[in-house]
Amino acid sequence: MLCQTPRPWFPRLAAVMLTVCLPFVVRSSAVADEEIDFNRDIRPLFSDKCFACHGPDDAHREGGFRLDQKASALGQADSGATVIVPGQPDGSELIARITSDDDSLRMPPAESDKTLTADEIARIRQWIGQGAQWQEHWSLVAPRRPELPVVQDAAWPRNPIDRFVRARQEALGLPHAPQADPYTLVRRVTLDLTGLPPTIAEVEAFVNDKSPEAYERLVDRLLRSQACGQHMARFWLDAARYGDTHGLHLDNYREMWPYRDWVVQAFNDNLPYDQFVIQQLAGDLLPNPTLDQLVATGFNRAHVTTNEGGSIAEEVYVRNVVDCTVTFGTVFMGLTLDCTRCHDHKFDPLTMQDFYSLFAFFNSMDGSPLDGNRKDPAPVIKVPTDQQQQQLADYDRQLAAAEQRLAGPWPEVDQQQAEWERQLAAAGEPAADPAAGALTLSDWHSVGPFNDTQRYLFARKHGPEDKPIKLDQSFELADGAKVAWVRHPEWKDGVVHQGLPGDEAANFLYRTLTVAEPRKVAISLGSDDALKVYLNGKQVLAKDIARAAAADQETLELELKAGENQLLLKVMNYGGASGFYFAVKSGGTVIPAEILTLARKPAEERSAAEQQSLRDYYRNKVSSAAELEAARSELAKLREARAAVDREIPTTLIFRDTKDPKPAHCLKRGEYDQPGDQVERRTPLALPPLADDLPRNRLGLAQWLVSPQHPLTARVAVNRFWLQLFGTGLVKTAEDFGSQGEPPSHPLLLDWLALQFVEDGWDIKATMKRMVMSATYRQSSRVVPDVHRRDPANRLLTRGPRFRLDAEMLRDQALHVSGLLSEQMGGPSVKPPQPDGLWFAVGYSGSNTVRFKADAGHDKVHRRTLYTFIKRTAPPPQMSIVDAPSREACVVRRERTNTPLQALLLLNDPQYVEAARGLAQRALREGGADAASRAAYMFRLCTARPPADEELQDLVAGFQEELAHYQQHPAEAARLVQVGEAPAPSPDEVIEVAAWTALANMLLNLDEVVTKN
Amino acid sequence: MQPFEQYLRLMTRRHFFGRAGLGLGTAALASLLPERQAAATGGLPGLPHFEPRAKRAIYLFMAGAPSQMDLLDYKPRMDELFDQDLPDSIRQGQRLTTMTSGQSRFPVAPSKFKFTQHGQQGTWVSELLPHTAKMVDDLAIVRSVYTEAINHDPAITYICTGHQLPGRASLGAWLSYGLGSLNDDLPAFVVMTPSWTGRKEAQALYNRLWGAGFLPSRHQGVALRSQGDPVLFLSNPPGVDQEGRRRALDRLARFNQRTYERFADPETQTRIEQHEMAFRMQSSVPELTDISGEPQHVLDMYGPDVQKPGTFAASCLLARRMAERNVRFVQIFHRGWDQHANIAGDLPNQARDVDQPAWALIQDLKQRGLLDETLVVWGGEFGRTIYCQGKLTRENYGRDHHPRCFTIWLAGGGIKPGIVHGETDDFSYNIVRDPVHIHDLNATILHCLGINHRRLSFKFQGLDMRLTGVEDHQPVRALLDA
Repeated sequence: MLCQTPRPWFPRLAAVMLTVCLPFVVRSSAVADEEIDFNRDIRPLFSDKCFACHGPDDAHREGGFRLDQKASALGQADSGATVIVPGQPDGSELIARITSDDDSLRMPPAESDKTLTADEIARIRQWIGQGAQWQEHWSLVAPRRPELPVVQDAAWPRNPIDRFVRARQEALGLPHAPQADPYTLVRRVTLDLTGLPPTIAEVEAFVNDKSPEAYERLVDRLLRSQACGQHMARFWLDAARYGDTHGLHLDNYREMWPYRDWVVQAFNDNLPYDQFVIQQLAGDLLPNPTLDQLVATGFNRAHVTTNEGGSIAEEVYVRNVVDCTVTFGTVFMGLTLDCTRCHDHKFDPLTMQDFYSLFAFFNSMDGSPLDGNRKDPAPVIKVPTDQQQQQLADYDRQLAAAEQRLAGPWPEVDQQQAEWERQLAAAGEPAADPAAGALTLSDWHSVGPFNDTQRYLFARKHGPEDKPIKLDQSFELADGAKVAWVRHPEWKDGVVHQGLPGDEAANFLYRTLTVAEPRKVAISLGSDDALKVYLNGKQVLAKDIARAAAADQETLELELKAGENQLLLKVMNYGGASGFYFAVKSGGTVIPAEILTLARKPAEERSAAEQQSLRDYYRNKVSSAAELEAARSELAKLREARAAVDREIPTTLIFRDTKDPKPAHCLKRGEYDQPGDQVERRTPLALPPLADDLPRNRLGLAQWLVSPQHPLTARVAVNRFWLQLFGTGLVKTAEDFGSQGEPPSHPLLLDWLALQFVEDGWDIKATMKRMVMSATYRQSSRVVPDVHRRDPANRLLTRGPRFRLDAEMLRDQALHVSGLLSEQMGGPSVKPPQPDGLWFAVGYSGSNTVRFKADAGHDKVHRRTLYTFIKRTAPPPQMSIVDAPSREACVVRRERTNTPLQALLLLNDPQYVEAARGLAQRALREGGADAASRAAYMFRLCTARPPADEELQDLVAGFQEELAHYQQHPAEAARLVQVGEAPAPSPDEVIEVAAWTALANMLLNLDEVVTKN
Repeated sequence: MQPFEQYLRLMTRRHFFGRAGLGLGTAALASLLPERQAAATGGLPGLPHFEPRAKRAIYLFMAGAPSQMDLLDYKPRMDELFDQDLPDSIRQGQRLTTMTSGQSRFPVAPSKFKFTQHGQQGTWVSELLPHTAKMVDDLAIVRSVYTEAINHDPAITYICTGHQLPGRASLGAWLSYGLGSLNDDLPAFVVMTPSWTGRKEAQALYNRLWGAGFLPSRHQGVALRSQGDPVLFLSNPPGVDQEGRRRALDRLARFNQRTYERFADPETQTRIEQHEMAFRMQSSVPELTDISGEPQHVLDMYGPDVQKPGTFAASCLLARRMAERNVRFVQIFHRGWDQHANIAGDLPNQARDVDQPAWALIQDLKQRGLLDETLVVWGGEFGRTIYCQGKLTRENYGRDHHPRCFTIWLAGGGIKPGIVHGETDDFSYNIVRDPVHIHDLNATILHCLGINHRRLSFKFQGLDMRLTGVEDHQPVRALLDA
């Protein structure tokens, strides 16, 4: 491919050159011989300078006209003057007012702190002079398939993308760049599609493949790799504001990494984007949703949450729903809905009614708005691994067998039971025996769950604790819900009752024990993780021991007073299933009358149920046969083992609606306690209506989003893919497609890509492939001064993309070239080392993330950065120093800065130093026998290309210099090679490894290496 | 100079405290006390909007919300009302946090601490702040600041970033973005998070409080740490000395220069300079944090804690050293002020942590002629209730959050000294004169630094974002020194 020689510049273009130098290239496209384009050249001016008072906001409009609607702008103002008269700038009041010498008349008014430049005024004048052609705001009009432009340079375009790009360049007399060299290209596209650099073998294979399909084969291979999904996912996770902590106040751990893994898998499976959207917004509303589809709904739960003491639940609830609504607008539609929370939009045709009508789709989550400081605030779902599923099934089988055995025929015991029955029948009515002190037990009552974090469950008082028991009393939980005492006549003694509600929660169990005379009674108890026992308000037992409930875990002697005694159990569960066990061990409980009756009934007249009931009673409360005890203890052990597996199963936050939707109101000034008119679920009026056959819920909303007539969804998505590859979107403001955002640099290209995306069945990989296959993408990124001056930010795509790698790519690349990277996918987030004290410096003392403890082991510390644990109030410095967002709020476009703190990170962070050592050791191992070949090997690993002679000499000289230094300072060498977890080199290699490490550390800092070229 | 080269020079300035025209390999240890008159690098054209009274600011942030009626808002009438219910006429049905909204009573808890009058105006100050009392003639005390947020996380995020939810730029980030840096060797915005001795279970801080939000991340506050490297990753790896680092950077620059010749990307030049800047920071930061050259009488002024790294006193001394070195904005977050209970036990410790060092900082700046051009602010995120939370005795009590009034002070560049502004009712519950919204306070701070708060904005999400929000707020003229 040859570089197009720039055409000679015509003198009439000279005046334009000044404006072209401005960084805002899109605007500068209004060259003298181009017709003024309203959407590109005029609307942004009106929006920025005029809409605040003459725009969509009905509540604040001056002069009785608006400049966002044609009819009004071409009509009369309150004053009677005509605002804009097409073709007659001098007859237009607008021109008179923006050019007035009178400070009190001139627009925009001084107090707005806005001014129009002479150039801007000239442009408006020119537009009116050309007839004031009006266009609706571009992004709200559905794209129409554009004609492919005809270009003079017909040889260059490889696909339609290039036709659009080239046409614009030709219109402006700009050249394109030649194709990048194969080394640059293979590194660029490998980084762009996988987030990792190519291996030397991959580079060689591509460079030596002379067939015309070589590049396409490369692209296809990359798109198939698992690394591709990992790379694509992290952009989405910024938008979805995924993090590993709640983000507010205590900022405790929050478990939703299965959602992160779902995103990776979705990209790797090339899940069509419409499905990708539907499942995340409304997977729970699909018919018979799969586990994956439920996990996907974590998108709407990823916002920051709080459980700060003193929080008002309704206020937090509104904040959560607002975040869901605003994020929905930004991520899927590029609309800035946040503005319409408190008032009608100042710039776009969106109203408060629109906002709260969207809010109404998200406002009925079936769970507390407060997170309870728990890792799993409801609604959540368990996401067992295949292995865990298998283990549970095994235990269930064993448990069923054990239970059956315990309940089934057992000749020896049955014989004893028959004897017992005979004795009962023979005894007749039992005489009341006041001396023995017959004990009467009331039914159990329970109340709960009182959610709290583990450390507080035991320490704090909850609900009825320390208060007189009143069974008609109810308790308010932290989330505002009320719970009351429930009677449980079905709870029999002597069996383990599972199924107490709540994971990290306390439940209270209550019953009375009545005796005629004061006496002692021994009881036997079981419970999971912690237990407190109160008798008549006095604590008689407190145990904090993680376990599953089983029989006879605690025995206790109660000193009962005469009359009614109150027994209160606080059963605390730290996760998994929760249950308890209770039996009276001594002291003449009265045999319940129904059991007596059954026992006296001849066996052959009893029903099967009666037979079973009697057997249960005998075996659980009367018999103490050793074989029964053994069977029971085996059962308890199985239950405990099952609970242990169950507790290890990860959970993830999902979205689910309450049965009946919660009414939604327009909130005055956005205040949670100022509800105005009730609103129905509907979509914004400026966008196509929700089709009648779509349900009025999140599913309908998602389907509306991906319906063919929607003007925004596909454009916003392809723009982000473009941004990923080219560093800047076709619409630079990827988060704002409204009139305050920048108009697209290539509007027809954007439309073509969007329509093609939908036509391909929302195929993400096909779209990525289309972009990287273009000649535009494959251009060399070399700057040509003359061209650079006219296209400094490369918005006209006159060269290939060149910009610094993102935080994740920098670290992953270092680990990859050093041979340290672990390829293990998925699972809980990991904590590679970071400097001490970063969490502690800011953390709430009671938070479970107040102290950072680094993980150990290759699969934890050398994992792809996608898997690094993100504490949102103190994100990992390896990420935040390099512009990664904190994940507290939705971000669809990262900043890209160049700072000394980044230099310090890349030079000195032990992880990067360890990677340098890994690279050094790898070069010694694999890079050949002499210094030159080792230096070249390291260089190729880092840059993908062979070094030039000069570079190689420099490297070898550098190595010799460092070698000499470390030979004189062997102790220093020993210190350098000990950094990091990877095994240290053998003693005879230390000096050499140290010298190469110093060189590798420099290589990992090369501009060429930290940059996609 | 050729236009293209000029353009490149312009581009290479586009960075964090960048310095143009640096010779490669020649970066000697930079002058340790740079010219105070240094021109700003970075920053926006047209800023400052007017001649600033302060070139820099130091914000002593009392995180957790100090109890104003036990420190600076004297309410003598409360003594007679001990344990009486807060009148409905005062509470006016205002919302309360759910920590006390369930209380059956709201009994008045008078301060147990003695107040005496100080300074030319006879300003009442609590016995807990004996040093602050000595300097009331230097301070503008504002007793009428208010906010809307009633819980810590939203409230502290609100006052530090102008919004109750995460995502916005902090005060220091705005200053760095708008005004740029006055020191080429240190960050424009430095944050410290010292230890505290009051309530152990302290409220959290969040990196967002000094974050850049939507502004470029180079404007985020750099944490100056008392453990490990003072600035993250400042130290060379073990086994690499400063000469070795120099060798590596010279080599690196040679390679990068070749890359620049190949691609001609201005970012490459910037990267070369950032590496040099990092190298200079490796000297300038340790020099900053090395207090061994401070004379004994200065150390004595800050009190005994000054020798313990990571205390508030040590942080105040470093703040002064940074003011000398023209660091634009220093913010010290002192935690532990959330006295829901045990004011008698915890509040004196908290006050002792900060009282003398804050006084010493003002004196130290004054003695060096820096106070006139350095704005100092002291205060928290909201106030506390006159009514007791939990058990009330004459000797001990607790107080819940109270957003409707709290007390802060300002001093130094641009601030009228020796005044008390604003007044609350007898219960320190409602403001009766001169309310100052937290946006007004931030507008005042910006004003002292030469910024019209309405004109410092950044387009994001379709809005012109400002630190002081969209409502009409103004600098408090009465606080400004004519």
